[in-house]
Amino acid sequence: MLPFFADLVIRTDEARRAFETNPVVLDAVANGMPIERYRKLLLELYHVVWHFNPVCAAAASRIEDSHRQIRYHLYEHMQEESGHEEWVMNDLEAVGVQRSDTLAHTASPFTLALNGYNYWAADRRHPCSVLGMLYALEVIASVYGGPFASAIKESLLLEGEQGISFIGSHATMDALHMAELRKVLDTVRDKAARDAVVESVLMNFHHFTCMFETV
Amino acid sequence: MTVPLQGLPALMGRPYKYIRLEWSSELAALRVRTCVKPIQCYSLAAMAELQRVFSDISDNEGLVKHFVMTSDVAGVFNFGGDLSLFVLLIRARDLDSLRMYGRRCVDLVWWMETAPLRGVHTTVLVQGDTLGGGLESVMPFHKVIFERSAQAGFPEVLFNLFPGMGAWHFTIRKAGFTVANEMILSGRLYTAEQLYRRSLVDLVVDDGEGEAAIEQVLRSVSPRLRGTLAALQARRFATPITYESLMQVVDHWTETAMTLTDRDLRLMERLARAQVRKAGGADEGAVEEIKRLELDTAWGEERSGNTGWGDEIGTGVTAWGALQN
Repeated sequence: MLPFFADLVIRTDEARRAFETNPVVLDAVANGMPIERYRKLLLELYHVVWHFNPVCAAAASRIEDSHRQIRYHLYEHMQEESGHEEWVMNDLEAVGVQRSDTLAHTASPFTLALNGYNYWAADRRHPCSVLGMLYALEVIASVYGGPFASAIKESLLLEGEQGISFIGSHATMDALHMAELRKVLDTVRDKAARDAVVESVLMNFHHFTCMFETV
Repeated sequence: MTVPLQGLPALMGRPYKYIRLEWSSELAALRVRTCVKPIQCYSLAAMAELQRVFSDISDNEGLVKHFVMTSDVAGVFNFGGDLSLFVLLIRARDLDSLRMYGRRCVDLVWWMETAPLRGVHTTVLVQGDTLGGGLESVMPFHKVIFERSAQAGFPEVLFNLFPGMGAWHFTIRKAGFTVANEMILSGRLYTAEQLYRRSLVDLVVDDGEGEAAIEQVLRSVSPRLRGTLAALQARRFATPITYESLMQVVDHWTETAMTLTDRDLRLMERLARAQVRKAGGADEGAVEEIKRLELDTAWGEERSGNTGWGDEIGTGVTAWGALQN
């Protein structure tokens, strides 16, 4: 039997490529984006980051003891991600968005759909689907985050990590997370859980791409 | 009960996303046009489609006598491996999946290598850039046609890797050890003319003349197809390439890929980003990025005195050319 991580890579590779080759994403990774669009993107990302830990908590509380290794993985991950919405807020401040404006921002329908799906999947589809959210977001951060951060820095003439601390640091951090995530994914053996993870990856790539397009 | 399709309907009737098939009944020629848009590379899905075509040809022995491959993406034949997938798997420390990717590539190469046993002659037309795995995929074809503006090379060494899916075997067979050494260890890019001089390309034609060249090759081979295939099979005996040794190299490639550092991966990402720029319509792409990387390497070579072929100095393609222009 193929290890689940390998199976997941194969079953979701077209969705990853669809994200990567979306014209808006292509252009952003190659050339960066104007400051107004970057602000909008960070505002949307704020909502994704803010709901990340609650989604993980919802899933962790529903995961059966037979998958306790996933629950522990989520505990550790939540610990690491705690407070990262502050990084997004700092980046937003660096590009001219006040904290009050960030907190008052209403997420786009696609971001609501992304978060909404992840809560629903953890609650109703299968709690292991949360691993699909982790996989998609970590692929986006660790594979595309670095080049995107460089492109933003060049196009907006930002200095140091100012304005890109969230994206830049996650590109590095999530590289380490990927290796840990692979190990935990390989422990998932039952079909229902595997199918739920695959569906979640496809949905997260889809909604994330749409969110990217709207900014 | 569904009856499996056979013959031409089986071959031509499948829905494909990343390739287009054309059939010439007069020459019994199957043409595959690859269109992995917007970044033309060997993605897992594209390779699965190619493997399907190869299996259909094998399952319908005697139907296809000529296999022809071209690209439908303007300016690019193939960028080779899916660099983003490599970065993903290396960062995930997933040796098994990366090995599986490499082995799937080798399976495609092996089919090309054993095509004479299936009664199939193979021809490829390269119009545009072909890098790394893209060039490796061209090497096993019996007839390699390049349009004059096409450029190719094995840039892997620039990010501390090497081409692992047949480059050594097929370059040595066609051009000898010295050329293989030079091309693989330098990471340089070569013009069609330079590759022709090194015997890696059989025919260089002016831009826009590639289609006519394919037709000419097919028509010249057709009347003596059996003899040609027998000779090509004999060539295999004379200069054997085994599946096992191809696998040995790809396994070594996988293990080496796992040792890439963050700096190496960032270089790989730089190339991937350049590919993306070109796909987005920019004038400059991966080839120009490699030339910039070559420049860095060239400074080291200037100190060591290893500057490549003297008559190519100043051509604008070698590292020296880039330095002097």
